[in-house]
Amino acid sequence: MSCLRAFFARPQTLAGFCIFSAIAIIALAAPLLFPRGPFVIIGMPLLPPGAPGLAAGSDVLGRDMAAQLAYGARISLLVGIVSTIFSIGIGGALGAVAGYYGGVVDDLLMRVTEFFQIIPSFVLVMVLVAFLQPSLASTVIGIALITWPQVARVVRGEFLALRQREFVAAARMQGLGDGRIIFGEILPNALAPIIVVATMMVGSAILTESALSFLGLGDPNLTSWGSMIGGSRSSMWVAWWTMVLPGLCIMVTVLALNFIGDGLNDALNPRRGR
Amino acid sequence: MRRLCYILSRLVKAGLVTVAVVLLSFFLIRLAPGDAATVMAGQAGYADEAYMKGLRAEYGLDQPLPAQLWKYLSAVAKGDLGTSYARQQKVLEVILERLPNTLLLDAFALIVAMGSGIWLGALAARRPGSAGDAAVSLASMLFYATPQFWLGMMLVLVFSAWLAWLPPFGIETLGADYTGLARLADIAQHMILPGMTLALYYLANYARLTRVAMIEAAGQDFVKTARAKGLSEGQVARRHILRNAMIPLISYAGLQASILVGGSVVVENVFSWPGLGTLAYQAVGARDNPLLLGIFIVTAVLVCLFNLLTDIAYSIADPRAELT
Amino acid sequence: MLAIRNLTLTLPPGADRALAVEGVDLEVGANEIVCIVGESGSGKSLTAHAVIGLLPRGVAASAGKILFDGEDLLKLPPAQMRRRRGREIAMIFQDPMAALNPVMPVGRQIAEQILAHEPVPAAQARRRAVELLEQMGLVDAANLARAYPHQLSGGQRQRVMIAMALSLGPRLLIADEPTTALDVTTQAQILRLIRLLQAQRRMSVLFITHDIGLVADLADRVVVMCQGKVVEQGAARVLLEAPSHPYTRELIAAIPRGEAAPLPPPDGAPLPPPDGAPLMQASGLSKRYRRAGFFSRRGETALDNVELVLNRGETLGIVGESGSGKSTLARCIVRLLDPDQGQIIFDGQNLRGLRGGALRAARRRIQMVFQDPYSSLNPRHRIGHILTAGACAHGEDAQEARRRAAEMIQLVGLPPEAMLRFPHEFSGGQRQRIALARALMLKPDLLIADEPLSALDLTVQAQMLKLLDDVRRRMNLAMLFITHDMRVAAQICHRVMVMRRGQVVETGPTRALFEAPREDYTKALLAAIPGRGAQKP
Repeated sequence: MSCLRAFFARPQTLAGFCIFSAIAIIALAAPLLFPRGPFVIIGMPLLPPGAPGLAAGSDVLGRDMAAQLAYGARISLLVGIVSTIFSIGIGGALGAVAGYYGGVVDDLLMRVTEFFQIIPSFVLVMVLVAFLQPSLASTVIGIALITWPQVARVVRGEFLALRQREFVAAARMQGLGDGRIIFGEILPNALAPIIVVATMMVGSAILTESALSFLGLGDPNLTSWGSMIGGSRSSMWVAWWTMVLPGLCIMVTVLALNFIGDGLNDALNPRRGR
Repeated sequence: MRRLCYILSRLVKAGLVTVAVVLLSFFLIRLAPGDAATVMAGQAGYADEAYMKGLRAEYGLDQPLPAQLWKYLSAVAKGDLGTSYARQQKVLEVILERLPNTLLLDAFALIVAMGSGIWLGALAARRPGSAGDAAVSLASMLFYATPQFWLGMMLVLVFSAWLAWLPPFGIETLGADYTGLARLADIAQHMILPGMTLALYYLANYARLTRVAMIEAAGQDFVKTARAKGLSEGQVARRHILRNAMIPLISYAGLQASILVGGSVVVENVFSWPGLGTLAYQAVGARDNPLLLGIFIVTAVLVCLFNLLTDIAYSIADPRAELT
Repeated sequence: MLAIRNLTLTLPPGADRALAVEGVDLEVGANEIVCIVGESGSGKSLTAHAVIGLLPRGVAASAGKILFDGEDLLKLPPAQMRRRRGREIAMIFQDPMAALNPVMPVGRQIAEQILAHEPVPAAQARRRAVELLEQMGLVDAANLARAYPHQLSGGQRQRVMIAMALSLGPRLLIADEPTTALDVTTQAQILRLIRLLQAQRRMSVLFITHDIGLVADLADRVVVMCQGKVVEQGAARVLLEAPSHPYTRELIAAIPRGEAAPLPPPDGAPLPPPDGAPLMQASGLSKRYRRAGFFSRRGETALDNVELVLNRGETLGIVGESGSGKSTLARCIVRLLDPDQGQIIFDGQNLRGLRGGALRAARRRIQMVFQDPYSSLNPRHRIGHILTAGACAHGEDAQEARRRAAEMIQLVGLPPEAMLRFPHEFSGGQRQRIALARALMLKPDLLIADEPLSALDLTVQAQMLKLLDDVRRRMNLAMLFITHDMRVAAQICHRVMVMRRGQVVETGPTRALFEAPREDYTKALLAAIPGRGAQKP
């Protein structure tokens, strides 16, 4: 319980948690709130927010901005969370093995992660998504493929450090096998930084997804905050809300995630300073 | 002597990364659906079998994979990155036309970001917990969460649409035909918005990092020793704290480079800045795979070289660095 | 010359007590060495920092005066205090690696101090720096001055610090535990150097330490501090021979001595006669570490043809300084590391060839207590789990294991409720007891204790030593006791083996080794024991 108290210690964390929960709820409830979908034309184009029935105004084709924002939230959160899960899965497994066993596997992994660090990964993901044909799946796969190396580095670092700790040596002496040691002794201690990294990664995945769909590399059948901004390039001069609102949504979501990540860091790593 | 060996080993490493990038590109191109011939035929308007066969033979697309790989590698080694489908020009040529614009923008952003970021971070570190410190932290969190392209568009909205202080896109005023100093001024004016867009994000990062690095360095024992020697606060701050705090910053600058290049792709698009970014965007739209991959290779090589420079700078700054 | 009157230092909110130091009165006269002795948390270090005006953020002097030549240092404006620092009052710190700027050559750091106070040309300052290094006994001073701190050894770095502190001829030198981070032999050299310099320059020294054994060799007067207060002070000889305060007596009693130990010396108790084969016999053990990376030709020899014999019920001490290979030896015996060559015969079995199930069975019989109590217990597990995990892994029934664990935890002096708590709720000494209980749970025949006392306070050390000895007798264990401190080895070991740079220097029964050492290195180690000079046999 002291964990929860530590988590909510800072007001920003509480704010972040509430905001993110609100966005998640809206995303899940979008089909209920806007049953006709985001692409339906409901009125005159380019109406400002506050116009009757339009909390967020209408876009250049006369579609409901609020509906688009809600459905856009689904895409952003979906891509962010799923790609992070894949990334943590691949990166975590490889990093743990490399960190624990060392040797050739470790060397190989380090070369690969260095490679991914050096090459401009956004250009790579552009290329990947373009070649795999833009779609939800290719976006998720592309983002997972360029982010797993940083997870692997963090996990490897943790496992390497923890492996040297004397309680691991003691566990070996007590007769515990490798599996028990990796999952029972090391992982509970490594979990905290992994969780924090994961939270931050969801945020950066959302940013990457929005950049991709801004450039037109998102799923053409789905509406996403990034594609909304991309589509507003002509209309933003006369209807600022078509550009500003989706961007604000992205910013607020990622900020909320970062606050949550900071709070998790406080709660799970009390001994590690800021 | 050791330093020379170090530089050599880093050069070799950069070379290996380049080769890996080229290999990766080669295999990526296989991912694209339909081979090059289909694409070209589609663009040319012809589709009959004989024409396609002829194209394949011409581009060597009907040969076994290893042969194609070898052909590609040797071509790249000679500097031939292929021919752009859409423009019917050599890829390298097209890239080299646009490269200086990107370099200009990126260099401007890097200098502004590092300079002001480090300065702000040092200020914040001097008084941890103060209002100024909190402001810097908050600002950096905000910029960290903001999508760069959107930030750019917001800047355009404010400074071009509403205030009309700065031009919204391009590198120079079209049709104005400035020369010499006037041209430079014109370009500079056009560079401010995209440059600041790129810089603001990294500025926040540098400020945060500098602050953390300075606070950590200030807590080290040798700072206590420096004070015990009777040095003034200014001397302690410059020669001992900042000098040691610079070390992690240099290695961060190296990591920056690849993210900077990625960021500039998006930002260039927002501002129609005629650099590699817009080129990449056009290549995606036109399904111009050789051009796209050429851009990938060139940007990777650039980042490699930049990393080499920062590695060398790091080894100079930190005498403890392992020169292996 | 220096007089501290009624000094009280407050700690920031959130610390374990309100006042770091309360009502401290002490004096340092001209040309005398005063030692402040105390354990961790006694406030001795903060007192020293207050004198030179370098209190950490959050700590402030709320009352009292620090009079230096009649002037109250606490009331001086910062600019004037800065002028005194380095010129009239100098300070050296505990860890010379951390206390020197890693990116500046050492010569320049010394010159920096000179230039901060005297307007001499830079070249002259540099020359003075080199001269100072020579005076400190460093050879090849000119080249050394251009080196960076990480390129020097611990002893060399501390000499650099001393050179730096003395560069402007201060009248008061404050030394905050300057030898704690050094090897025993280096420690002796640095202490000799400080004594010499003090006599040459007739300067006053305020020496902070936790080791009251050092005091006998060094101090003219002693101040004993505990929990922020001065409990006793006086002339060194008088205080050591006839301490009046109970805490002082406790401190003195806790010093492991070379002879007349409070525990009955092991040689007194009859050794069980070796019944045929020894319990463990290792021979020809060698190990080299290769430096990471492709291009390293040098490797480090950790072990070089080491031989070891251990009988049942016997305690063998392995003594050596850092780098001697003693820890590597222990890890090779338990197969946490694999030696390059050699064999280890344990109760008739060669440990080197074992794998899988046989290895686990053999491992059970040799258990280890590690050095760092803060690292040897998994912070995420409760004590109950920590104690029973091993037994359960070997197939023991969980209920039975818990029952035995409760017994074991009481054996080491902790209540059974401790099983429900987490490691961070316990002190260092308590954690070591838990680690011992964990080792004993598997009913081993051999217990290896790898520097189990180094991280503990002096009074806690004495208790832990007694516990180890008790346990050994009760369970008739053989014990391999690894330490860098000869005094500790003398208290608990039947036989002692001295190691240096991976090789065995000398082996023999404790008393014989101490009274008549054969090898030069052993003699040097014995001579370096602090306080031995003052004790008459």
